[in-house]
Amino acid sequence: MSRMRGAAAIVGIGQTPYYKRGTSPEPELKLALRAITAAAEDAGIDVRDIDGFVSYASERSDAPKLMPALGTRECSFSSLVWFHGGALPATLNLAAMAILSGQAEIVAVYRSMAETSSQRLRVMVAQNDTSAQYLVNGLDSPAQILALRAQRLMEYHGVPQSALLATTQASYYHAHNNPHAYGRNIEITDEVYANARMISEPYRLFDCSRENDGAACVILVSAERAKDLKQKPAYVLSAPMGTMEGGGALEENWRPYYATAGQKELADRMWRESGYGPKDVDVAQVYMNMNAMGIGSMIDHGFFSFEETGEFCTLDNLIAPTGRLPINTSGGDLGEGFIHGMGLIPEAVRQIRGTSTNPVPDAKLSLVTGGPGDIMSSTALLGSEETL
Amino acid sequence: MGYSFEQHKIIGAIEADDGFWRALEDGKLQLPRCTGCKGWTWPAHHRCGQCGSWDFAWTDVEPQGTVFTHTRSRYAFDRVLERKDDVPYVTLVVELPGADGARVMGVLTGDESGLAIGAQVRGHIRPPSAKTKHYPAIEWELVR
Repeated sequence: MSRMRGAAAIVGIGQTPYYKRGTSPEPELKLALRAITAAAEDAGIDVRDIDGFVSYASERSDAPKLMPALGTRECSFSSLVWFHGGALPATLNLAAMAILSGQAEIVAVYRSMAETSSQRLRVMVAQNDTSAQYLVNGLDSPAQILALRAQRLMEYHGVPQSALLATTQASYYHAHNNPHAYGRNIEITDEVYANARMISEPYRLFDCSRENDGAACVILVSAERAKDLKQKPAYVLSAPMGTMEGGGALEENWRPYYATAGQKELADRMWRESGYGPKDVDVAQVYMNMNAMGIGSMIDHGFFSFEETGEFCTLDNLIAPTGRLPINTSGGDLGEGFIHGMGLIPEAVRQIRGTSTNPVPDAKLSLVTGGPGDIMSSTALLGSEETL
Repeated sequence: MGYSFEQHKIIGAIEADDGFWRALEDGKLQLPRCTGCKGWTWPAHHRCGQCGSWDFAWTDVEPQGTVFTHTRSRYAFDRVLERKDDVPYVTLVVELPGADGARVMGVLTGDESGLAIGAQVRGHIRPPSAKTKHYPAIEWELVR
């Protein structure tokens, strides 16, 4: 069993409200400070004692800028994880490694974004790494590039539109009960979904994640230290990152997998490291830059095959409290809000604590998947003390 | 006189595909073939990961293939606003049997009926224009 398994736990969570993109009353750095201080308070930790800072992708609220306002006594570890949203769960891997190796004792994992402090999320996330091969041919946005994958998933592998609809409806169903969800008042009837404007075929508006201003943070400490803090710990059982040969920066030349999320071997490694399998998972926060990619993620994780997707992905199966696999129980990237996926980790923790607004009764194993289709990705399984 | 694309260089990503654009601007579709193991290295890179060679021969490829996947863009996205008057437009990923199944992208031109994965397409090489960010481009037409 991996030395990483259960070595660290999430003991604090903090979030700002989700604002409509471009309307945050506060700049990006201040949002980061709000989320980090809220997470420290939730954990019962003096914010000045945080000594590790981990984020991912194009995050700009770096430790040196945060330290003076947090009163940080000593920063002993700070790092970004490559790559885009794929790096989200891997932040937990990096934080746990820093703790396990003694480089830091209290690590804040966070992401902050405010469009007025930077630029449009869908531009910012690309980090100017979109090659000429795409841009010359009218392809810019992740929505378009992931639409190519979705078209293959549906037309070639036979995944039905109803599966995409079910993931969207499940997300908004959960958002409805979450007072913090930006999309809580939107009801996605079959008609609303089908009549929404097309973005890049086969994606319509409600197949796509939101773009919001906001920040979120989780705080990790060693398993030993977690026992003495005030919240029920969510242990990191496994949070591998990676890409296999045939994946990565191959500009639509992925082989042998193209239409799923590029997470198959990654997920297999997570099951091996954690000692659990897909049937053991109580609840999943599935990163949905686009809903079909999230379906690809669930296929890669072994929840169902291409052929089983239509039968598995129904509204009843995907919602709390009694669905076969309740997903995105805060509303997720589609219904709650989107700050590059960072809202998914706090919700995975709330499920273990029993404080989600859509609780899965007695949830012990809580999954968070990383950006599907990203050129490098990651996935994480969190567990309660009984799962260690 | 240099090449148009060299004066409008798009930075980012691997940046080993100058030979592709140079050939396209000269009116030819060429992909890099490793001089060591003869494998097609696509997208173009600086070293062959299979045999370790640093040398590639830019090799003519017949501009015909099959549709691997496709999307119709229905919105003018930020960094490709040059095409806003063309919305909706279809971009294809095309598999080239002449290069061991390497996939290249390109916009679909002409009659769109019959567009489907597996459909046969033929490429037409277009000179640099504002719409293609002053790069040359290959456009694909469904074979009837």
